[in-house]
Amino acid sequence: MSGEDAADPAQGEGGPGDSDTSDRSGDRILSVEELRAGYGETEVLRGVSFDVLDGEVAALVGRNGVGKTTTLRAITGAIPARSGSIRFRGESIIGEDSVATAKRGIGLVPEERRIFPGLTVEENLRMGQLGGSETAHRREVEEVLETFGNLRERRNNRGANLSGGEQQMLAIARALVAGADLLLLDEPTEGLAPLIVESVEDVIREVNDEGISVLLVEQNVAVALDLADHVFVLDRGRIVYSGPAERLEEDGEVLDRHLGVSV
Amino acid sequence: MSAFTAVIDQLINGLTIGIVYVLLAAGLSIIFGVMDVINFAHGELFALGAYFALAVAGVQLLEGLPFHAFWISLLLAPLAVAVVGGGIERLTIRPLYGRNPLYHILLTFGLVLVFKDVIETRCCPPYFLLFRGTSRSSVSLPPMLEGQVALGAGITVATYSVFVIAAGTVVALGTWWALNNTKVGLIVRAGAQDRGMVRHLGIDIDRYYTLVFAFGSALAAVAGIVLAGRQGVFPAMGDSVIIPAFVIVVLGGLGSFRGAVVGGLGVGLIQTMLTSPPVLGEYVPSEELSGVVVFILMIIVLLARPQGLFGNPEWQSSGEEGELLTGSGEGVLGPTWRKRLGIGLVALLALVPLGVGVRYSTYVVDSLLVTMMIWALFALSLDFVLGYAGLVSLGHVLFFGVGAYTSVLVAQGKVAGLFADTPVAALLSVLGYSDSVFLALATGVGVAAVLAWVVGYLSIRVAGVYFAMITLAFAELVRNAVLKLQWAGSTDGLSTADNLDYGIFGQGIGEVGDVVLVEELTIGPVLVIGGEVHLSYYFVLVTVAGSYLLARRMMNAPFGSVLQAIRESEQRAKFLGYDTTAYKRRAFVVSGALAGLAGGLLPITTGIVLSVGPSDLHWIVSGEVIVATILGGMGTLYGPMLGAGLFVGAEELLVEYTDQWQAILGLLFVFFVIFVPRGLVSLPALLDRHLDLDLGGGGGETGADPGPAPEADADREVDD
Repeated sequence: MSGEDAADPAQGEGGPGDSDTSDRSGDRILSVEELRAGYGETEVLRGVSFDVLDGEVAALVGRNGVGKTTTLRAITGAIPARSGSIRFRGESIIGEDSVATAKRGIGLVPEERRIFPGLTVEENLRMGQLGGSETAHRREVEEVLETFGNLRERRNNRGANLSGGEQQMLAIARALVAGADLLLLDEPTEGLAPLIVESVEDVIREVNDEGISVLLVEQNVAVALDLADHVFVLDRGRIVYSGPAERLEEDGEVLDRHLGVSV
Repeated sequence: MSAFTAVIDQLINGLTIGIVYVLLAAGLSIIFGVMDVINFAHGELFALGAYFALAVAGVQLLEGLPFHAFWISLLLAPLAVAVVGGGIERLTIRPLYGRNPLYHILLTFGLVLVFKDVIETRCCPPYFLLFRGTSRSSVSLPPMLEGQVALGAGITVATYSVFVIAAGTVVALGTWWALNNTKVGLIVRAGAQDRGMVRHLGIDIDRYYTLVFAFGSALAAVAGIVLAGRQGVFPAMGDSVIIPAFVIVVLGGLGSFRGAVVGGLGVGLIQTMLTSPPVLGEYVPSEELSGVVVFILMIIVLLARPQGLFGNPEWQSSGEEGELLTGSGEGVLGPTWRKRLGIGLVALLALVPLGVGVRYSTYVVDSLLVTMMIWALFALSLDFVLGYAGLVSLGHVLFFGVGAYTSVLVAQGKVAGLFADTPVAALLSVLGYSDSVFLALATGVGVAAVLAWVVGYLSIRVAGVYFAMITLAFAELVRNAVLKLQWAGSTDGLSTADNLDYGIFGQGIGEVGDVVLVEELTIGPVLVIGGEVHLSYYFVLVTVAGSYLLARRMMNAPFGSVLQAIRESEQRAKFLGYDTTAYKRRAFVVSGALAGLAGGLLPITTGIVLSVGPSDLHWIVSGEVIVATILGGMGTLYGPMLGAGLFVGAEELLVEYTDQWQAILGLLFVFFVIFVPRGLVSLPALLDRHLDLDLGGGGGETGADPGPAPEADADREVDD
């Protein structure tokens, strides 16, 4: 798992080719190489390579439909990888199902949150407690109820009756109770009011400060740039850019060409 | 008995039946909620519980015990049924997870046949008391549960009813408590809402499926035992409760425990209030209503709230439904060869009457082959909506049966009688309406098409499992109405010796049963035909072959392409600007009309006496035609027709050789659903691939077979 692999996809789409991996040193908690996956006859991921360093926040950004969620599905084993490799702490997790990846300590906060709508807040968290990883750092139900905004006040409310922001907090809290060394967040700020977005960002920072590595999948480039140490840009099933967040911020061409953000 | 005590009596009766329904529906609902399995065999597990109880009570050893054998059976029989249920899940249902719920319906339908047969079998020495044939046996009750108990104020009720209500309540409360206060209960509830997410939390929910299925089976068994104490044990007991249980589950909301409780008690109360006259008798025509009111209620609820009273629409959005596996595109034979084979088959059928009375009896031609062809048409009609539009109709017997009834009603002059004293009567008489087979069939087709339009209009707005259930409800509604309707022969059905003519305007060439083409034919010294060859045989052959050509023509037209697009992805068809609902409704009408035609042919061609009965409207027939369709390979039109022929033929053969034909047929379906879901037409390709695999892969049975394999993991693949 050499550092070059993260950079090589840049050649794929004839992108600017200015990916920078020189400062990508350290232990890799997750490394994905030449990953191909899809549904039926459609291949969504056409050789995706990137990695997440231990303790950092990495972001995978891209427009709608470029394969962001599919990447997370392949990592968590919800869909099979067709080729390529996925390694977690150096061990291959290709072919493992979602139960197995969760047990390894890969926590998922999925798109649209997917909290259990008919269960109470406390029961949602207890589901995390019943499952999860034995090796990863786990939080207690009572602990997250205390620290996560107003979840405590809502502990006996059904998931369906929470606001979008509360549901997002609950989904993150549930993943932490289940135990995660690597947290995969799929569009955590989607559909939330700006003020709520800030508090979700704060929570993600806190989680990261505790040593949990984060892979953030975002359409919202601003959020990704706010939070991430390193950013990968995904376009049409390939990584077309890899670099520190500060550099992407200044790279108008990448922003414009692959993300549709004008500067 | 005063009006007040009568009401109390009714109430107790209603609650007794109601609590039994609650137990049944709770099991069904939990199983559906967690695994998406619609378990048609639930009624048989209910019956099995009662039979096991009978068997336990009959064991000699238990006689010396200080307590009555009933108590032991109440404990042991549910355990035994739980083991059976767990076994069913492991062996048959497990391979199907991730496939469309249709396959579970089919599978459990096959299991119904197996269980029915096992229960009805009279075999084994008398000390093994499980198998008692078709007779009804009563369960001996402990003395303390017999007699009456006084409730005060001059009201007495049967002690056993109080026991049933109390026991049922305890079991239901226990289930509710376990769901809400245990780890497994929590996982089960979460799984009913979002299985995929449960897995993402690192919980292997598949491990709990067997447990859940066993538990649901045990609940059914308890229900069976307590009801048997009141009504006795008989083979059809599962049959009598399964449809009400489905109604309750759908009414209350699939997967909702609360819904099962409210629905069960509600339906129990409504049924008793309407069936026993004293309470409402003066105000409501209860006799006529009793059979249908529950179905009307279900249809209204489904139309207003498709998810049921307590079902949560969000919970259904998991989108985990696997696709329907069609037989199309699977053939090794090219279209030219298929065409040649088809023409060959029709030619062969046309030649079969040569040999009547020499090689085989007239029965083979006039009854067996005719029935096969009629079923082929029936299966074709179902394939039109199931295989092409993806509509799983569980009520297709409605159109088939209505067609059959119409033929007989026309022949009896009852249809013309409806118009007596109106101007239409004169026209009908000029047409020779009550004698014309063509007009009778046309009427059947018309009535079936109108009914299909109504059913389609009301039900196509709901999708998937709910559509299946609502069509089932419509069919059962009509069957129950017919059972009460004197005009339609109620429970006896109709029969008349007055057959229809091939003709119109009173002119014709004779009665359908009578027109003989050849009676005997010898060519040289060889006797070729030794019996009567009826025109009716060719009439059916031409009608069925013509219907196939018509259906194929429609499917090759743009109409058919749109339907197939809808089956593949309704969303995308919508985006392309097609009014998918309208297309599906139209297809449903065509399908209903074809089924009506098939049904219309049934009574007029298969006997001298035209007869039809409520069994021609039974839901089992809907199941059988689905089985025939899958057996052949849906989505091909010709596949289901072959499947239907095989189905009727296999039944015929098995009946001849064994009493256990139902069980064998049932096992055959189970096998097909699991291993050959794309049907007979996919067999050549399947074998081909298997041979390839064996050559290349060193002969080991490495993978699952090509048919189901891609779907095996679909449950996980599309989990959000």
